[in-house]
Amino acid sequence: MAVIDVKLPELGEDAGDEAVVSFWYVEVGEGVEEGDDLVQMLTDKATFDVPSPSPGRIVARLVDEDAKVKVGQVLCRLEVSD
Amino acid sequence: MAEQATTRGQRRFPPWLTKRLPAGGGGAAVARLLADLGLGTVCAGAHCPNLPECYARGTATFLILGPTCTRACRFCAIASDPALRSSAPLRSTSRRPEPLREDEPEAVAEACARLHLRHIVITSVTRDDLADGGAGHFARTIRAVRARLAEAVIEVLTPDFQGAAAALDAVLDAGPDIFNHNVETVPRLYAEVRPQADYRRSLDVIAYAHRRACRGVALAGRTGTGGPRLYTKSGLMVGLGETADEVRAVLRDLREAGCDILTIGQYLAPSASHRPIARFVEPPEFAAWESEAKGMGFAAVAAGPFVRSSYRAESVFQSRSAESS
Repeated sequence: MAVIDVKLPELGEDAGDEAVVSFWYVEVGEGVEEGDDLVQMLTDKATFDVPSPSPGRIVARLVDEDAKVKVGQVLCRLEVSD
Repeated sequence: MAEQATTRGQRRFPPWLTKRLPAGGGGAAVARLLADLGLGTVCAGAHCPNLPECYARGTATFLILGPTCTRACRFCAIASDPALRSSAPLRSTSRRPEPLREDEPEAVAEACARLHLRHIVITSVTRDDLADGGAGHFARTIRAVRARLAEAVIEVLTPDFQGAAAALDAVLDAGPDIFNHNVETVPRLYAEVRPQADYRRSLDVIAYAHRRACRGVALAGRTGTGGPRLYTKSGLMVGLGETADEVRAVLRDLREAGCDILTIGQYLAPSASHRPIARFVEPPEFAAWESEAKGMGFAAVAAGPFVRSSYRAESVFQSRSAESS
């Protein structure tokens, strides 16, 4: 089993892009499928749902709700099959 | 429905204004290419919420003529300094207008080639400080792209060039396939939302391009003997405070001007210092506008919360019906 980082991708804001964590859809220890919504992010222009890139299990949530997160910052860690 | 605040003070949007980010962040390659070539996009400059989706699909809308606009539309996130307008006195704090990047046309063409684009959209800031408003640079960009991608559809989204026929001719002579100029909002709101623009002038710009298309003027296109039909396009935002009757009147005006393709999208404020959102328009209302606009004779219509001037421009263009009257 490997652990991968799920990062905040490009959002459409200027350099220094950031978004606010609106709420987590998943809990630590929860299993997810590829494409399942993990966390909802807020910017001035929209609400974004960040999907899981792979099937796996959430092993860590690294940002709290209401936290500001920059593009490229790790949101959570996902245990996946090798 | 106005913006909703939460007990935590964070703005929330209605459910239909939620976008799913592409899994794996596939837009990074496009972002890197654009950075390597030193190119701007309206996607990034205007904080378009569709950027992640569009970049992940390998497309973007190029922003030329520099990063700074000489107007100050109240809905737009692009950096602006109205003091750069040729008619305005420069303040001691004003920045000098940025010179045009001479190799920008070729850089845009290179990006289009590397991205294997079949439908290219090029837009710009407004440069009232330039004698031709940047029209010559637009034309050079169109020709540079055409030289690299002879079969691609080239769509330009231009400023009004202050209505100057010579500037419009310069752009149209370069042979774009789609000439887009947005009216943005209803005439009553222009003073508040688009203070340096003029509604009638914007309609005249569209009408001018349409007349050129109708006369079948030989555009300097692929064959040099006529080329394909030129389409005209325009767009507006809703949710700024307009009424339905005002929107309907704009649609009628656009059809009278000969506009072929229409986009209608939800206004989203780029920041708290921009014009507030008056209301969130619900998806059924967008569907009703799309139906009504098609009934008016637009060849293609895209209406939806996340619709923007160039969002999925290729599929909108390909959806066009038989020639609009």
